[in-house]
Amino acid sequence: MGSGMSATDLQRASSWVDDHGECLYRYALVRLRKPEVAEDLVQETFLAAVRGYERFGGRSSERSWLVGILKNKIVDYFRKRGRETSFTDMEFLSDEFSEKFASIGFWNHDLGPHEWKPEPDEVMHRTEFWQVLGDCLSKLPEKIRTVFTMREMDDVPSKEICAILAITDRNLWVMLHRARMALRECLEMNWFDTATGGTV
Amino acid sequence: MPEEPYNPSPIGNPSVLARRSWWQTMLVKFIGKHTPKCREMVRILSQSMDEPMPLVMRIKKRLHFLICCWCQRYEEQLRYMRQTARQFAEHADESSDAPFSAEARERIKRKLAESAR
Repeated sequence: MGSGMSATDLQRASSWVDDHGECLYRYALVRLRKPEVAEDLVQETFLAAVRGYERFGGRSSERSWLVGILKNKIVDYFRKRGRETSFTDMEFLSDEFSEKFASIGFWNHDLGPHEWKPEPDEVMHRTEFWQVLGDCLSKLPEKIRTVFTMREMDDVPSKEICAILAITDRNLWVMLHRARMALRECLEMNWFDTATGGTV
Repeated sequence: MPEEPYNPSPIGNPSVLARRSWWQTMLVKFIGKHTPKCREMVRILSQSMDEPMPLVMRIKKRLHFLICCWCQRYEEQLRYMRQTARQFAEHADESSDAPFSAEARERIKRKLAESAR
């Protein structure tokens, strides 16, 4: 880039690193699991933010703007990797939730979904909820997590995910279904059914 | 013959329709027979988060929910997860204790300074 950046710009960019660096880093780490890769993408995010600052214009909070840039960097990272790695996770496609359903195919009622309280708007203010969600995401197998987080956190359309990771529609749906099933189960057990969580 | 093959609704079922009377039992059995089983329904619900559900299936889903509060909860929870997942990034600093090292912080600031020159 070069000459366009004043001392004030630089100072502002440094304060971003202090104010939002940790948040961006932890987010990248949940997504990518590798500290080096997470640090690199955070660095790229700040460099891109400095270059694109004029386009920011204060329409959203600084943090959500920076998070948006990081999400794009993460998608780019997977786009590069998608060509090298097979993203179809056959191991996780086995039917491991069969105990949830009676043989005829209806919910085994004792094991069916419980009611979730409180509402999302309220849960957003609970630090412990984000910890549980982070832990539950970390427990998902890597490829399933990648697909799920792209779809649900980055809001990438499913067609695009298939193209980025070179997988078929059918595989994407199966993987997303498994991810949702597993994450739902984990959240219910570790948050909604606990004393810290919603129901009590 | 398996006992009550199309009965998804045992005593105490909190769904809208349950086997509380003869005609409700008939209705529950009918709906159970003509809508997808829960195992299939959860797959369909998940897919509908990614592409629109055909009209006929939307109707079947509504009917199925009458006899199955569990599938209905499942759908609500898929939305719940989406809504919170979208917010996760901005709360990621609360999600773990993973240290963002002072070295990394300094290195990034250095890079920013270099790019300014």
